[in-house]
Amino acid sequence: MQDTHISLAHGNGGRYMRELIEEIFARHLANPELDVQADAVPLSLDSNDIMFTTDGFTVQPLEFPGGNIGSLAVHGTCNDLAVAGAIPKYLSLNAFIEEGMEIKTLNRMIKTLAETAADIGVKVVAGDTKVLRRGEAGGLYLATTGIGIRNGHVLSMKNIKDGDVILVSGPVGDHGIAVMLAREEFGLRGDIQSDAASVLNLTKAAHKFAGLRFMRDPTRGGLATVCTEMQRATSMGVRLNQSQLPVRDAVQSVCDMLGYDPMYLACEGRVVAVVDPVEAQALLKTWQFFEQGREAAIIGRIDSAIPYVLMETEIGGERILEELEDDPLPRIC
Amino acid sequence: MTLDAKQWLERIQALPHRGKVKIMNVCGGHERSITMAGLRKVLPDYVELVPGPGCPVCICPEEDVFEAIQLALHEDIILLAFGDMLRVPVNVKKIQARTMEQAKAQGADIRPIASPTEAVNIAKAKPDKPVVFFAAGFETTTAPVAAMMLEGVPENLSVLLSCRLTWPAIAMLLESGAPGFDALIAPGHVATIMGPEQWQFVVDEHNIPAAVAGFTPASLLAAMYSVLRQLNEGRYFLDNCYSELVRPGGNRSAQTHLAKAMNIYDANWRGIGVIPASGYMLNKTYSAHDARKRFPSYADDARKRAGKMPPGCDCTQVVLGKIYPNQCQLFGKACLPRNPIGPCMVSDEGACRIWWAGGMRESLQ
Repeated sequence: MQDTHISLAHGNGGRYMRELIEEIFARHLANPELDVQADAVPLSLDSNDIMFTTDGFTVQPLEFPGGNIGSLAVHGTCNDLAVAGAIPKYLSLNAFIEEGMEIKTLNRMIKTLAETAADIGVKVVAGDTKVLRRGEAGGLYLATTGIGIRNGHVLSMKNIKDGDVILVSGPVGDHGIAVMLAREEFGLRGDIQSDAASVLNLTKAAHKFAGLRFMRDPTRGGLATVCTEMQRATSMGVRLNQSQLPVRDAVQSVCDMLGYDPMYLACEGRVVAVVDPVEAQALLKTWQFFEQGREAAIIGRIDSAIPYVLMETEIGGERILEELEDDPLPRIC
Repeated sequence: MTLDAKQWLERIQALPHRGKVKIMNVCGGHERSITMAGLRKVLPDYVELVPGPGCPVCICPEEDVFEAIQLALHEDIILLAFGDMLRVPVNVKKIQARTMEQAKAQGADIRPIASPTEAVNIAKAKPDKPVVFFAAGFETTTAPVAAMMLEGVPENLSVLLSCRLTWPAIAMLLESGAPGFDALIAPGHVATIMGPEQWQFVVDEHNIPAAVAGFTPASLLAAMYSVLRQLNEGRYFLDNCYSELVRPGGNRSAQTHLAKAMNIYDANWRGIGVIPASGYMLNKTYSAHDARKRFPSYADDARKRAGKMPPGCDCTQVVLGKIYPNQCQLFGKACLPRNPIGPCMVSDEGACRIWWAGGMRESLQ
């Protein structure tokens, strides 16, 4: 391909578009099922227990410490399948590319996307590209839809019982802060890496526990949002213990400076699990065996005696965690 | 000697109990840390923590916000403001833009920023377009604005300044004869810039113990311990419990910046009125960059409730520490973060917003 930047012609259905698809998308994503000429692809899944999900990705900036929109598009959808107890098998990919985007950058994103998919063992088998006029997109938007198969019992908030124990697989807020710092809006710099990663190993290990009730990846809205959702769905309260909550010092410092609460910041490689108290310690040990789960912790429990999400603070105080109201704004003093 | 929060709390608990003690803080950051750590629950019952005038968004004159909205709507400019300011409502008819956010939705070019550097960068990127930076804040915000002026700003950048000094509001409360507090936690960030000595008058002139605090539960509890012990021993002084950052004399270069770029004048505080020598304005050297001089005034004194708090809103009483947020009849009912009526429900520095976010919901009405 001779062009250096995406033009509207790359979305015209003709030669430019064919070149773009062949030389970037098909080249990186190649696998036996992916046929760029076909309108639809036949898939065989050796299971009747099929899970299906979709997600869109609009992260700014496109690249951040620890990942880019390409890796995120795979992790986001695969993690949604993983926490539902499924093994991701196939993805579809939609790319909305802004006119003027550097082809070199696009190539880098799609290459990462392909490598990330290969690492997890998921195949991109269908796709589409569209070119949007300059100013109509933030460089690149991606959407992925995923199919997985579930091996194990059904996980649902409906399974949650009073007294169940809540675990998180690692420090919270890394992704939110890493992306925010990458925007360089606040004149702050740091070496905080996004936690963006596949959680499949953690969820596979957790799913072996018969007492596992429910898992979720705390993405937008963070851990607090997962807890308020559980509270609403179960009508039982959640009691969290701040002193057990893993938060990196660097993340906490940035939060203190800008007025953010790590409880509400997005993670892209963490799992929250609700488990029978009898199995909580065993699950904790299992997770801590993985590098990714080394800092896993038991952070609280379901408590039907309270009607809200309560955080016991390190000093022994209490505060109620509410649903996130709006995008957290930076402080002015 | 560094003690952790639990150790400071134990020391407070070991103090002999006494009649009610009201400790006022004058920084939204302090109130936030207090609420988020749940300090009110763990302190002995006789200690009351009162949030005072510590939120610059809350006391920014309503007329100034109105002026900014009108400028953005009627002049061909880019208006920049700190994010918190965008949702502060003014008193206008329902069909008009009540907030900068609404003006933005109506097509005005209003952008939230986080620092003066961003303002300079935006002005440089659009040299042909007038850019107005609506800067509201206390000394901590004013000093960087002053530094920006001294470094030289692009010709097209002007400033709509709504900056205030913190201590005159406390002086006013103390001189009122009914300050409503028995001890003061002085603001850590302000003291970092202006020096802790600024708060000496609280002790010397009004015989009230004071301590500068940082923003961790440990630092706040240390300051509370200090003032409670001072009250018990009857020996009052200004303590510094944030000595990691607050140095005697403060940040001299920031003070020099302020002195070189700003004059101090008798300024209006929303809902409170004019407080002597409490506001910053650009001095003669920089007045060419004063947005008030560059653009026509859109002030409309005939506007209903111009300059006032909205009907039924007790933000003034909350800002002055006369009542707690949940004693306002609108708190959590008509006034919520999603639909704030008074400014204290808007900003993360506002007491009402902080109490709501921290789950302190029970209305005392």
